[in-house]
Amino acid sequence: MRNFSFMDNLSSQELVSQPYKYGFVTDIEEDKIAKGVNEDVVRWISAKREEPQYLLDFRLRAYKHWLSMAEPDWPKLGYPPIDYQDIIYYAAPKKMEKKTSLDQVDPELLDTFNRLGISLNEQKRLSNVAVDAVFDSVSIATTYKEKLAEDGIIFCPLNEAIKEHPELVEKYLGTVVTSNDNFFAALNAAVFSDGSFVFIPKGVKCPMDLSSYFRINSGDAGQFERTLIVAEEGASVSYLEGCTAPMFDTNQLHAAVVELVALDDASIKYSTVQNWYPGDENGVGGIYNFVTKRGHCRGARSHISWTQVETGSAITWKYPSCVLMGPDSVGEFYSVALTNHFQQADTGTKMIHLGPRTRSTIVSKGISAGRSSNSYRGLVNIGRSAEGARNYSQCDSMLIGDSAAANTYPYIHCQQPQAAVEHEASTCRISEDQLFYLQSRGIAFEEAVSMMVSGFCQDVYSQLPLEFAAEADRLLALRLENSIG
Amino acid sequence: MTNSLMNGVSDWLMSLPSPSGLLEKVQRDGRSSLSQLELPNRKQESWRFSAVDRLESIFSRPLQGSRSHGIDQSIPAAPSNGLRLHLDTDQNQLRSLTLPAGLSWLTEAEINTYLGSSLACFGSESDWLVELNHAATQHLLALRISGSPPPLELIMGNSCDGLSATRILLILEEKAELEILQIWRGEANTSQSHILEVQLGSDSSLHHGVLALGTGNSSFFAHLAVQQEPGSLYELTSALQGWHLARIEPRMIQSKGKAKTILNGLAMSDHDQEISMNSFMRFDGPDGEFDQLQKNLVSGHSHTVFNGAVSVPKIAQKTNASQLSRNLMLSPRARIDTKPELEIVADDVRCTHGATVSQLQEDQLFYLRSRGISEIEAAKLLLRGYCKEITSSLPVEAERWLPLDHLLNQLRS
Repeated sequence: MRNFSFMDNLSSQELVSQPYKYGFVTDIEEDKIAKGVNEDVVRWISAKREEPQYLLDFRLRAYKHWLSMAEPDWPKLGYPPIDYQDIIYYAAPKKMEKKTSLDQVDPELLDTFNRLGISLNEQKRLSNVAVDAVFDSVSIATTYKEKLAEDGIIFCPLNEAIKEHPELVEKYLGTVVTSNDNFFAALNAAVFSDGSFVFIPKGVKCPMDLSSYFRINSGDAGQFERTLIVAEEGASVSYLEGCTAPMFDTNQLHAAVVELVALDDASIKYSTVQNWYPGDENGVGGIYNFVTKRGHCRGARSHISWTQVETGSAITWKYPSCVLMGPDSVGEFYSVALTNHFQQADTGTKMIHLGPRTRSTIVSKGISAGRSSNSYRGLVNIGRSAEGARNYSQCDSMLIGDSAAANTYPYIHCQQPQAAVEHEASTCRISEDQLFYLQSRGIAFEEAVSMMVSGFCQDVYSQLPLEFAAEADRLLALRLENSIG
Repeated sequence: MTNSLMNGVSDWLMSLPSPSGLLEKVQRDGRSSLSQLELPNRKQESWRFSAVDRLESIFSRPLQGSRSHGIDQSIPAAPSNGLRLHLDTDQNQLRSLTLPAGLSWLTEAEINTYLGSSLACFGSESDWLVELNHAATQHLLALRISGSPPPLELIMGNSCDGLSATRILLILEEKAELEILQIWRGEANTSQSHILEVQLGSDSSLHHGVLALGTGNSSFFAHLAVQQEPGSLYELTSALQGWHLARIEPRMIQSKGKAKTILNGLAMSDHDQEISMNSFMRFDGPDGEFDQLQKNLVSGHSHTVFNGAVSVPKIAQKTNASQLSRNLMLSPRARIDTKPELEIVADDVRCTHGATVSQLQEDQLFYLRSRGISEIEAAKLLLRGYCKEITSSLPVEAERWLPLDHLLNQLRS
C-alpha cells in the first residue's frame, strides 16, 4: 500500500524539516479563463464542457440565486472578504483532448500524481483502489474503469457521465444539495467544473474501494468540483477522497459539493483525508475549504457513513450531513479535526431524522494546538414522523497549549417523544502522568504525545479503511511536530 | 419591526407614569433605548428558538402600580422563621420596615454606585429584556447582607393583569450567608419582568430559589447577573411552570475564579407554553467549579429551550465544569431544543456536558406495574422522582407553594 502513501519512507527527522510536503507547483501549460464570474463565464464553462440545455439552465438558476444571496458570517471565522471577481473559475491542463490511454496523458501530470504518492500507471496501480484524479478543474484520469464496468458500476468524471449517462445525471444531480441550498453551494452549482460520478447498480457490492484525489495547482484558481454517488437497492460502496495543494501566500477557495443517494438497503461509506495546504505558521496563505456534503438515505434500511480526518486548510467550514428519510436508515459521522498555528475549523454534522426507527451516531474528536480554533457545531433534528429514532453523539476535544480554543455547539431539536437522543462531550489535555508513564519507559516526548493523540482518535481511525487509518495517524503526528512543550 | 408594533411600543412607553423616585434615571434611559431597539427576532442567535411574536402582548397591557390591598388570602401564611416581603409594596413603605440583624437597606449613594454594575460586567445592560425592565421598573429592593440573617421570602409582583417590573440588588459581605426564595405567580394577562444583581463577597454564600408558576397567557422574564469573589458559593434552583412565554437568563461570573456555582433548573410546560433557560457562565480566574443540571418536562404541544453557554478563557486553568440537560417528552406534539455552548481556551481544565431526550422508560414502567401499581400511578411516580431531584434543592419553604403532586396532576398526558 506504500504507493498510495501521503508520506513515503521518511524518517521523522525528515518529516520535521518538511512541514508541508505537497507544496510544489507543477509547471504545466494551463487553459484558463479570465478572472471573475458573470453570466457569460457560466455559459462559457457550460459550452466548453458541451453540456445539455438542462445543465446550463441549472447553472444559470444557481448563478441567479447566488447573486441574490449574502455571504454567511455566522460562525465568525473572521477571514478577510473574498473577492469573487479575483478568482479563476476554470483552469485545465492543455493537451487534454481525447486520450485513448493513460500513456497519452501529459507525463508532467503523471509525475505530479506520482510525487503525491498516487500512481496512475497501469503496472504501479494499487491493486484494490480505483482512482479518479482531479487536477484543478478537470479530471485527468480514472483507473480501473473497465474492470468496474463489468459489474455495471459507473465510475468516471462527472463531465463524461453527463455525456454518456445523461438520464442518471439528470435524475440525481442537484437533488440532494439544490442549486440554492447555501451561498457556496449556489456558487458551486453555477461554476462547477468536474468531479466524480459513481453509480452502483442494484444488488452490486463494489469489489474495490473507489477514490478521488483532488489537486489544486493554480495559484489564482478556485476549485469547484462536484461529486455525485448513487447506490441503488442493495448496493454498497466505499469511497475515499484525498486532497493537496501547493503553497501560496494567498488564500484559495475550495467550494465543492458532494451528494450521496442511498436507496433501499444500500450502503455508502465516504472517507476523507483532507490535507490541503494549511498556511504557514504565521497564518499566511492556505486553502479556504467551504464544502457542502450531504447524503440522502432515501431507501429503507439504507446506510450512509461519513468519516473525515481534517488536518489541512487555513479554514475548514463544513458539515457533512445525513437526511434519514427511509425507515430504519442509519447515518454515521466520525471525525478527527486537527488545527495548529492559526488554522480554524468549524465542522460537525447534521443528522436529520425523518423516517421511523432511524438511527445516527456522531463521534467527533477535535484537537487544537498553537493559536488555532476548533469548533464542533452539529445538529440532531428528530422530526415528528421519526418514531423510535435514536441518536448518540460524542464530542471530545483535546487542547495542546494554552492559546488554542476548543468550542462545542451541539444543537438538538426533538419533536418526537418516542425518540432517544443522547449527547455527551468532554474536554481534556494530554495528562502529565500519562506522559510521565510513557517517558519512563523510554519513549521520547514527541512520540509519547503522538501515541496519546492517536489513542484519542482511535474511535475514528477504526472506521477508516486500513491504509487510510495509518496515513491519517502519521499525518496527525506530523502536523503536531513542534507544537508541544 | 413593523410600523404598527413600533407604534404599539411608543404608545405603551407614552402610557407609563413619568420617571420618578430612586430609579428616575434608569427609567428615563431605558425608555429612550427601548424606543430605538429592535424587537428580538429569530435571526438573533439567542432568540432563534423562541416564539418572539408573543413578546408583543406586553405592550397591550398596563403597568401595575404599587400594591394597596391588605393580606392576600390565596397565598400560604408567612414563614415563621423567616422574613416575607412583598416587592410591589410602595417604595417608601417598604424602606420604612425594620429589618432583622444582618440585613440593611443600601443607601441612595450605594445604590447609585452598585446598580447596573453587574449587568455591565456581562455587557447585558442594553439587552432588550433588560431595557424593558429599566423602562418600567418602579420597585427596587436593595440590601446589604452580613452574617447569617434569617431566610428571605420575596413575593414578586402579583397575579393581576398587566406588567409587573421588579428589581433587586444584593451585596453580600465577606462570609455572609443568605437563603432567598423568590415567588412569582401569573394569571391570564400578567407579565413579570425582573432583574436581579448580586455581588457575592469572598467566602459568602447565597442559596437562591426561584419559583415561577404561571397560567393562561402570562409571561415571565428574569435576568440574573451574579458576580462571585473567590471562595463564594452561588446556588440557584429554579422551577418554572405554566407560562405562555417564560425566559430565565442567569449570568454568572467568577471574577477571580476559585468559586463554586451550582445551577439546578426544572421547567414544566404544557398546552402551547414555551419555557426557556438561557444560562451563561464565565470563569475569569483559575480553580472555578460549575455544576448545572437542567430538567425539562414537556407535554401538550409546548416547547422548552435550553441554551447554556460556558466560557473558559486562558486564565481559567483547573476549571471543573459540568453541564447536563435532560428532557422528558410526554406528548407527540411537544418540541425540545437544546444547545449547550462550550468555549474553552485554557488547556488544563475538565469540562463536560451532556444532553438527553427521551420519554418515560418502558422497563421502569413495567417494573412498577408488575408490582401492582396502575399505569397512571406508575407514570406519576416516575415523574415525581424526576422532578424531585431538582425541587428538593429549593428552600424548604417552597414546598408550601409548589405541591408537586398538584402540578403533576395537571399534566394532561
